[in-house]
Amino acid sequence: MDDNKFVEVKNLRKVYDNGHEAIKDVSFSVKRGDLVCLLGPSGCGKTTILNILAGLLNPSAGDILFDGKSVVKTAPKDRHIGYVFQNYALYPHMTVLQNVMFPLVVGKHKKSKKEAEQIARKYMELTQITDLAEQKPGNLSGGQQQRVAIARALVQEPQILLMDEPLSNLDARLRLKIREEIRSLVKSVGITTLFVTHDQEEALSIGDKIILFNDGLIQQDDLGQNFYLEPNNYFVANFVGNPVIDNFKVTKIADELRASDFTIKLVDLDQSRFKREMPDGEYTLSVRPENIVPQEDGIITTQVDDVELIGRERILKFTHDNVQARSLVNLESPLRRGDQIKLGLRLDRIFLFTPEGERVY
Amino acid sequence: MKTNQKKAWLFLAPTIIFVTLFSIYPILRAFGMSLQKGSLIDLSWAGFSNYQYLFHDPEFWLAIKNTILYAVISVPVGLAISIMLAWIIFSKVKHKAFFETTFFMPYVTSTIAIGIVFRYIFNGDYGMLNFVLRSLHLPAPNWIDDPAMSLTTIIIFGIWTSLAFNIVILMGALRNIDPNFYTIAEMYGASSKDKFWRITMPELVPTIAFLLTMNVIGAFKIYTSVYALFNGQAGVGNSATTAVFYIYNKFQIVGTPGVAMVATVILFLIILLATFLQRKMMKKIGEN
Repeated sequence: MDDNKFVEVKNLRKVYDNGHEAIKDVSFSVKRGDLVCLLGPSGCGKTTILNILAGLLNPSAGDILFDGKSVVKTAPKDRHIGYVFQNYALYPHMTVLQNVMFPLVVGKHKKSKKEAEQIARKYMELTQITDLAEQKPGNLSGGQQQRVAIARALVQEPQILLMDEPLSNLDARLRLKIREEIRSLVKSVGITTLFVTHDQEEALSIGDKIILFNDGLIQQDDLGQNFYLEPNNYFVANFVGNPVIDNFKVTKIADELRASDFTIKLVDLDQSRFKREMPDGEYTLSVRPENIVPQEDGIITTQVDDVELIGRERILKFTHDNVQARSLVNLESPLRRGDQIKLGLRLDRIFLFTPEGERVY
Repeated sequence: MKTNQKKAWLFLAPTIIFVTLFSIYPILRAFGMSLQKGSLIDLSWAGFSNYQYLFHDPEFWLAIKNTILYAVISVPVGLAISIMLAWIIFSKVKHKAFFETTFFMPYVTSTIAIGIVFRYIFNGDYGMLNFVLRSLHLPAPNWIDDPAMSLTTIIIFGIWTSLAFNIVILMGALRNIDPNFYTIAEMYGASSKDKFWRITMPELVPTIAFLLTMNVIGAFKIYTSVYALFNGQAGVGNSATTAVFYIYNKFQIVGTPGVAMVATVILFLIILLATFLQRKMMKKIGEN
């Protein structure tokens, strides 16, 4: 038993009957008790992975181990998992109590009604839905239904909880509240949780770690902040971060990086951040908007197209090589639309990517 | 507000006129005629004499008994078979559309035509049904010509014809059940029995309530299938007479519209009562 590999996915591949290769080659592991977010744009394969873990889909190749034992051939009901669907799938004809009791009163290992109710009540207390026991799901708000679905997923005391976009049916404010609740709930129960989402903010705020998928492959499997500070590749850098990262086309010639109107000497870069050799050619220079700031001796001279207020900060929008770019400045910044500005780059915070998206700096 | 109300009445007028003319007026007229005697063109006040006659007419009691027996047996049995078949088609069969169409065929075929085919199938000497029964060494009764069998024959026929409509409606209801309900139940280890009784049946309650009401009303009004099966008669020696058959007979053949209208009023009250009781019952089931 290895608690660091409580859930282990090895070289997973899934090709659907119509020939679509949803998952190409995916391997990752999850620590016992962790809350891991599977993040990615729609169609990236994250829900497919969740369904394979749940046993609702069979993998085309690869292996899945729960607590060191392969479960690929195990029926879903014997995998000790709880599953929360995107639309909750609560039974509309049953009361909240009956819904939560349902997993305990069906199948081979069904419990007596009294015992089932006792366990159900325990989890209903944990999810704070005791008051709703006699209500039907149709009378509940989205947030309340969510809690019922989670309570129902937990009553069989599964070892792993799988959640498929559980917050996408809720409004923005409720989503913030519920995601915190989900985190504190699964942490207090101590259950290992895999949480599928397409919302990076959600993933960053609740995940112990995040696995970012795109195109059926893992792009990065890391702690939340590293997606921001050390993106693996061009896709990650552009997927994570709000406002989105700025990208500039540059050409490396000898010991210089040349853009249309600025030049950076390679010696000015942090040599320890180079990932590999950098032959001459085309590259993308990416920089987060907070690391491209107005300064007297800035290397980019441009004009502010527009200013957007986002709470504590302002986004200065400008055009570079016909592409819109952004600079993040303080709320108090006096700069307005039409102002001429000089922008400087924090060279120890920029990223360089090959045209294929591979990171070199 | 006032003009709106005027407009509302205007828009409702066509429906109100037609309902009044063809539903409410006939009911009132039937009740009026039930207190009259004589032929249609020469009606006179009769008080409750028609009622007295009817209550002492054994043929009427046979008709009511047959109708109630028919409704009480054919509706639940037909509905149970429909649910079973719909569930099998829905959950086990691959080419659903084909079977659905097949089962729906009887609904679009005229009852008279089906009745004629069934006369052959039910025929005591050369019928297909008895051929099968005989080859299985089972008793082969005379379905059509034996007065003791005629009600049974009609019930079997009624069950068979009710399947079409019921199955199509039930299939629609089954399709409306969120498939995730079953996925999640399976994940919790629910057996097929659990799934059927704890998910499918409760989800079907509103549909079953609707079908039950429609079927019971239809069953009380049974006429065409009797007519078709027994060649325009109510079975040998009127053994399979039904309420509507009795009404028709008294109205058109015997020429006592007053008596026919008494039977109409009573049948109306029976259907009203049955529908009312059913609604109460289904409401109770729905609540649990």
